[in-house]
Amino acid sequence: MSDVDLVGSVFVLRDEVLDTVEYGDRDPPGTELFEAVLRALSVGGESVPGLDLALHDAVSRRLAWGDNEEVVLADAELIFDRLMVAVERAFRDPADRMVVIEAATLVAVTVARVVSLAAVARASRDRAARLREEMAQRQLREVLEKQKLTISRLESELKQQH
Amino acid sequence: MTPPTPPPLGMRIAGDTNVGKVRTSNEDSMILDPGRGLYVVLDGMGGANAGDVASQMARDAIHDFVTQRRLTMSPRSLVEGALLCGSETVFAAAQANRERQGMGTTVVACFVVDTQHVIIGHVGDSRAYLLRGGRLQALTRDHTIVEELVDRGLLTADEAERHPYKNVLSRNLGARPDARVDILELELKAGDRLMLCSDGLYGYASAEAIQYVLGSGDAPDHVARDLIELALRGGGGDNVTTIVLEAPQAVQSQSSTEVVRTTGAKEWWHKRQRFLQLAKERGLTRNPIVRGIEPNEALEVVGLSLCQAVYHDLEKSTGVNVWTFAQNLAGGWFERGGEWAPVRDIIDILGTSARTVVDEIRAGDAALGFLLDVAVSRALVVAELSLGGLLAERLRQVDSELIELHTAQQLAVERTSGEYPANDSGTAGPWVDRPTTPFMRPDRVVTNSGVSKEVVDAINKTIVIAVAHVSAKATLVKQVLTALETIACDGGGNFGTAVLSARDLYGVRPVDDAGIMPLFDALDQARIVTAASVHQIQTTEGIRAKALLALSTAHQRLVGATTGLVLESVLPFGERLREVQAMTTALRDEVARVERKRAALERGHATRADPSLPWGSRGTTEW
Repeated sequence: MSDVDLVGSVFVLRDEVLDTVEYGDRDPPGTELFEAVLRALSVGGESVPGLDLALHDAVSRRLAWGDNEEVVLADAELIFDRLMVAVERAFRDPADRMVVIEAATLVAVTVARVVSLAAVARASRDRAARLREEMAQRQLREVLEKQKLTISRLESELKQQH
Repeated sequence: MTPPTPPPLGMRIAGDTNVGKVRTSNEDSMILDPGRGLYVVLDGMGGANAGDVASQMARDAIHDFVTQRRLTMSPRSLVEGALLCGSETVFAAAQANRERQGMGTTVVACFVVDTQHVIIGHVGDSRAYLLRGGRLQALTRDHTIVEELVDRGLLTADEAERHPYKNVLSRNLGARPDARVDILELELKAGDRLMLCSDGLYGYASAEAIQYVLGSGDAPDHVARDLIELALRGGGGDNVTTIVLEAPQAVQSQSSTEVVRTTGAKEWWHKRQRFLQLAKERGLTRNPIVRGIEPNEALEVVGLSLCQAVYHDLEKSTGVNVWTFAQNLAGGWFERGGEWAPVRDIIDILGTSARTVVDEIRAGDAALGFLLDVAVSRALVVAELSLGGLLAERLRQVDSELIELHTAQQLAVERTSGEYPANDSGTAGPWVDRPTTPFMRPDRVVTNSGVSKEVVDAINKTIVIAVAHVSAKATLVKQVLTALETIACDGGGNFGTAVLSARDLYGVRPVDDAGIMPLFDALDQARIVTAASVHQIQTTEGIRAKALLALSTAHQRLVGATTGLVLESVLPFGERLREVQAMTTALRDEVARVERKRAALERGHATRADPSLPWGSRGTTEW
């Protein structure tokens, strides 16, 4: 591996990878993923998978703000593809390229894991909510049953009075 | 004859052998000679009882050789020469007796030069292992035909594992007069443990189990016995022999663990009466759990039991006794239908009493008090954890009972009302959670520049190396690696390959953490092992980078497709929830409608039933 500052070199590719021109002052979609790649490079080696809490946080925030999982996943794929193209062109030393590719793959896998976790958690919440709804329905049916009994009693009493 | 010398100072050695559960005779032999520093394990082979003859013959020859030449030869030459001498002796005996032709023996020998240096020699598949820093490593490579083919690059590790001749030896003592001996010089560190064994051990016990037993901290004689026991529990299909050598521990002052295990435990036990007195003062004997028991008996059953459990745990540095105490105490109480509060109360009483005792010890001896404080706190945390586990278990039971009850009631309601829509199988019934089998449509075409033949070769080699690095049991990781190879080599660049691979990988699994996370763990492990393996292939750096790029892109596609499948499989949960919510809304409306009808009827009923009431202002009143 050459002694190029990889973090600095990849940061130079930011505009190209994130297509910042398109979005002006706003943060383009996928910024958090690009930053995660920079973090992975600055750590300089393998970390425990999924330990990038900042990335977890950023993806969770996006999901909480209304982006659905497919969008986050599509952004991850887009950033990955653009980064691969840019790295292939920008880095001469294959060893440097390999380091960046490894970091980008780590981020891609982590994002997929976070998105899947979020989806599974949502399914679990939906399952619990369904259970609550079904219990509420049972109570409503019981109420309905009682109401019907009362109505029939009242109707028969009224008939008797007549 | 050289007078025997004592074993090197501080070195502890023990060995054991067993015929096993299947064989009728023991063809293993061993030498355990601390005086000469010679330790050998031999495993004989050959029909008509020739195996035990070969191993014993070689054993005697090796022992005699070392005894006679120990002082005149260098250690390395001594070991090599002794093993060669053993081979010559066995070979000559086999030639002399037709019935014993073909007999031989494997051997692994360790010659202790001093407390820090040993020489290891071996021929065949008896092994030497080193346990250093808690990690077990094999020091020898088996001399089997398959291993040698792997060394020459003619077989992969995976093929070797499945090869029919994987147990056929390529070398042994006695097959030829001049056996090739592998020699290893090893520098020992303080606390290292060296183990010699025959294939009867590692063939029937996993490396993890061997590592666990060897690293247990027990004395070598216990360890040797436990290792034999391990092999017997694993089937004991062969004779098993093992020798354990432990290098001297570094000279150091008594560790904190040792202080707690000795002085601390004793001090705690001396204070047991004080502990019981404190527990009594805090109301232990009035707790509902011990109601109906004599106060002194209650103190003994609960207080002294905990005191004993803590003592034993301090003495052995474990938590098992306190754990068991808490389980028995709370488990028995809960089984009798007892509530949680008394358990909490009793544990608090015992905990505060223990802390007071420790504080009193600390007042007399600050250092010991500090160490005991940590150790006793740990014991109390173990008790809390034990209770937590028990409560979690109860919660799980209640949860599953509730769900069963709820499902049964729902079924009963549906059968009578028939309000639920038909499910997948066409019969009316509730929506039951099942593993889902999503199938993502391969409709996303992505660009791919294609891969050249060199890159395809590099990808194939990388995957072969990666698969060899993965444990045989990690089938999911291997499946991922195969999928990566397929996707990366797919020059067409069709996303469909990734989707189909993800489909295979996903299989049928429940939509929860336990179902999904192993998949992502396997994907992550495959990523790590692939990235490591690509650096090991023999090619140019450029091709290596291209192979990694192709594999990483494949990985991203596979992960994306897999996540897509996860997203598809969670979709029905949301849809079903919306359906159920709509049904609840409809039911609420119905209840409101019926309620209005009931109210109107009641109004009518009231006015008709008691016409004397002064409700003249009501519009519908008829009086």
